[in-house]
Amino acid sequence: MTSHRITQGGLIDRSRPLRFSFDGKTYQGYEGDTLVSALLANGVRIMGRSFKYHRPRGPWGAWVDDPNAVFNVTLGGVEFPNCPGATTMLRDGMVTRSVNAFPSASFDLKGGLDLLHRWLGAGFYYKTFIWPDWHLFEPMIRRMAGLGAVSAEVIEGYASDQMHDRCEVLIVGGGAAGLAAARAAAESGRDVVLVEDHDQAGGRLYQLDSVEGQTPQDWVADQLAAIEAAGGRVMTRTTAFGVFDHRMVGLAQQGPFGYAPRLWRMRADRIVLASGAIDRPVTFANNDRPGVMSLDGACEWLARYGVLAGRNIAVLSNNSFAAPAARMLAEAGAEVTEIDPTTGPIRALGSKRLKGIEVAGKRHPADTILVSGGMTPLVHLWRHAGGKLDWDERTQAFLPGAAPEGMAAIGAANGTFDLDQALTEARAVARDEPRPDRAGDYRVKPLWPEPGSKGRQWIDFQHDVTLKDVELAARENYVSVEHLKRYTTLGMAQDQGKTSNMAGLAAMAAIQGRPIPEVGTTTFRPPFVPQPIALYSGPHAGQLYHPLKRLALEPLHRAADAALGEYGGWLRPGWYGSGDPAGHVRAEVIKARETAGILDASPLGKVEVMGPDAESFVNFIYYNTIKTLKPGHIRYGFMLTERGNVMDDGVIARLGPNRFVISCSSSHTDHVRAHLEAWRQDGNDPDRIFIHDLTQQWSTLTVTGPKARDIVAALDMPLDLSADAFPHMTLRETTLNGTPVRVARVSFTGDLSFEISIRSSRAADLWQALCAAGESVGAGPIGIEALSVLRAEKGFIIIGKDTEGETMPHDLGFGIPRQKKQAAFVGDRSLHMEVANRDDRRQLVGFRVDPGAPPLPTGAHLIGDGDTPRSEGYVTSSYDSPTLGHPIALGLLERGADRIGERVAVWHLGQRSSATVCAPCFFDPEGERLNA
Amino acid sequence: MRDDRHRWTPYDGAWSPYEVGGIAITPVTPERQILISAPAVLSRHPGAIGWPDIATGDSYAISLRRDRVLLVNGPDMAEGWDDEIGQAVSDVTDAYSVFDLTGPKALELLKHGTEIGLQQPSRSAARMLFGLGVFLYRHGAEDRFRLHVLRAQGQTAWQMLTGQAGRL
Repeated sequence: MTSHRITQGGLIDRSRPLRFSFDGKTYQGYEGDTLVSALLANGVRIMGRSFKYHRPRGPWGAWVDDPNAVFNVTLGGVEFPNCPGATTMLRDGMVTRSVNAFPSASFDLKGGLDLLHRWLGAGFYYKTFIWPDWHLFEPMIRRMAGLGAVSAEVIEGYASDQMHDRCEVLIVGGGAAGLAAARAAAESGRDVVLVEDHDQAGGRLYQLDSVEGQTPQDWVADQLAAIEAAGGRVMTRTTAFGVFDHRMVGLAQQGPFGYAPRLWRMRADRIVLASGAIDRPVTFANNDRPGVMSLDGACEWLARYGVLAGRNIAVLSNNSFAAPAARMLAEAGAEVTEIDPTTGPIRALGSKRLKGIEVAGKRHPADTILVSGGMTPLVHLWRHAGGKLDWDERTQAFLPGAAPEGMAAIGAANGTFDLDQALTEARAVARDEPRPDRAGDYRVKPLWPEPGSKGRQWIDFQHDVTLKDVELAARENYVSVEHLKRYTTLGMAQDQGKTSNMAGLAAMAAIQGRPIPEVGTTTFRPPFVPQPIALYSGPHAGQLYHPLKRLALEPLHRAADAALGEYGGWLRPGWYGSGDPAGHVRAEVIKARETAGILDASPLGKVEVMGPDAESFVNFIYYNTIKTLKPGHIRYGFMLTERGNVMDDGVIARLGPNRFVISCSSSHTDHVRAHLEAWRQDGNDPDRIFIHDLTQQWSTLTVTGPKARDIVAALDMPLDLSADAFPHMTLRETTLNGTPVRVARVSFTGDLSFEISIRSSRAADLWQALCAAGESVGAGPIGIEALSVLRAEKGFIIIGKDTEGETMPHDLGFGIPRQKKQAAFVGDRSLHMEVANRDDRRQLVGFRVDPGAPPLPTGAHLIGDGDTPRSEGYVTSSYDSPTLGHPIALGLLERGADRIGERVAVWHLGQRSSATVCAPCFFDPEGERLNA
Repeated sequence: MRDDRHRWTPYDGAWSPYEVGGIAITPVTPERQILISAPAVLSRHPGAIGWPDIATGDSYAISLRRDRVLLVNGPDMAEGWDDEIGQAVSDVTDAYSVFDLTGPKALELLKHGTEIGLQQPSRSAARMLFGLGVFLYRHGAEDRFRLHVLRAQGQTAWQMLTGQAGRL
């Protein structure tokens, strides 16, 4: 075995052995191991395969910077895909499998793909699969793509807790700088939270012999005790994965394996970034061989897990951290050779098993190559928050520059790599004292990819992006780093570019002969490390994912065998009865036309507008003139957007001189309320207009049909229901058994209708009384589906169904206010723009089909008959009318109003048919039944 | 056309008190809830409850925004625009469901659904909780929280609160 466990040292508990398996073989690790450290301890080098070429992959880094060791892990009978092995803590009984490999990582049948690498470079898919049709190849490629497969079984209870919290100072990172800052801030009386993604805080301190005169363990323990004694909170196994608006930091707190992490939305007055830095890979030939690893990672495996990465180690480093690292490895028993990588071309020797390294023509035998191309500060969160980055020549790295408000970076994340300076800086920042200049003994020689050099040199280990791919992208003019990323997939692997971005952008800089800062970085986006979707959804799952509004009468509807469904955000009866929905809907339509239907219309908006300026306000909000509306009367009208497009339709009733109630569409109430509030506060005097949305205070029951008057009369309200005393489009306020009710004569079916609104707690009594009265004349409940047919027979529109985003009121036959209304109204000017006056606007029309023909498909296109037909409109509503005995349809058609009687071709999913354009009203066009 | 009746838990608007370690959730039925909007309405209701104020007694006013209060169990008032006082009045007794959350873990439960703390005061009791618009304040005790949620969302609030309380 090359890598192996040493007999002492590390933070693992050697008294607690744990059994696990990898690719079918059983191994032993210890409590405190990660999956990767445990496998390394057992001499396992190959832990996965690369994404494209299926090259063997060993681990690169010891923590979040490892892109290679990705496993599907089964524990307790449940499988979790794509677990990062470097950060997944070992548990007894884990069954792990490499991803993207079959039958195992060490022997993968698809490994032969690597032989085709000359033809599989960047852009291969884009260039190859365009003929004859991408979709021909897509299924196969989709099957081959991806890493671990998701298990089909549902993991019960896998849901994230979500918490909100606040603190004065949030310290991100529990290394030396983070601990020192947290202690200083807490002891200054601040409310401090320190988050650390390892089990045990301390960062890289365990690689050292001592810290400020103490062992690392003692120093860390002292800091933690002092932080907590001062009232600070320490959250381990917690990753700050993103910084969002107003210093809200997303924290993912890991629990036991198999449980979804808990999300903390932590609002901090101040964020101190102490996230540290990672080693950069060096780009050289065959640098992806298993056994080429991060020098810092190897030191971490040794310091935290007691694992020595190799026996005969070549250290390839361009910086001053190499010497102490080499010393540490040698003291642990390895034979270590330090090599200067800047002297000439480099090549790793061997394939699955490393044999050595060749530098400037000189060969050095080695079973392990530990690489450090310089430290890269982890500045992801800094960039999430909008902080700037400055290129620093001394450290050859992008370092935090101009700070976002309330944020500071310290320690290695700030480019302060030397411990003493980092501690001084951390304490100064925590106490709001002037911070010392960046300085220190850290030295690094520039060492970047050399375009044109020989051999296959990996930039992105997981996604198989090589230096030649970057050169190819540059030749094809994908020179922006953002384009480079998308063209080559560089930085899009599981580590999201932590190891590849610097090399990639440096390579592009070298190819173009530009300085690195001129090329810049790609955009840093949350999450910092992959997170399960459950973290974001939290408790919003199942019925709570998209909860519907519930009717006060739902129990009665259920008792009446209602089929419930979502209609505009409400759970409403679609029809009543089980089985044969079409038959039930048809029967309900016939019932409503022959006797009466009783409908729960409670979701209809009931938004009251009150105040001295209420009249002028609603006159301004509506397309139609409302100021002439008299108390007790109702008017139909449109609300428009500022672009003149129809936003909502409905009726408005006047209850008094300074009081109106807007009955907007059921699904648009929230939108209309917000629309009214916005205009109330903008351009109007908000002290003279007030808007109360009372939709849920009042339940509304509609009785519609020729027997509607008889049914309502049975309620015995003190109200004259005769057509003369109570005509269509009027409203009366009265009482029912002592409870105030509003009765509106307004119809959405084309038949005599009464809408009765009553406070919701009394709606059940009203419903039962109406149903009882209706039963005696053959009337009964109807659902939304029947209502949809009834209103279409009359040619009444549903906004959003029979209108589109460009529809204006004159497209629907309501052109007079546009020409005549004198007062200003929302959308006025837009109705006179060129687009509003085009003669090819899509206008509302009806369609008839030939006798015996089926209904037109909703959504079918109405096409011209030229050589190259194009869509001139489409069918918006279509039904087989039970009332009329033939299909009917509504639609939007270019110049529709001028094409009444014209035959139009209809196209739907490759099938052609035809229809005749007609007026949109199919039922009682004279309105006799409406006004009865 | 879809029949989804079985996908939604039936409810009848009459929730039974729910109790789980350290927290009790109880439906409350105020006799009257009146919404009043007017310029400087807060000056006419100087004790209007915001966050984290504790409402005491049976009758009180909740501050919702600079021109709006909710009177709980106040006097019966004529609805509509009151020209004399210059205020809009609406009975919303049936528009809001009301729940009490009591116990040492009640605040923690609320923190699952909203960014809240006793050290972060707000002049308004209106806020979002688990994505629902609510009025939230304390009532009668340090650890008794009362929330008003729109009637049609009462079942959602109940399912969310009891479900999350069960996980604490």
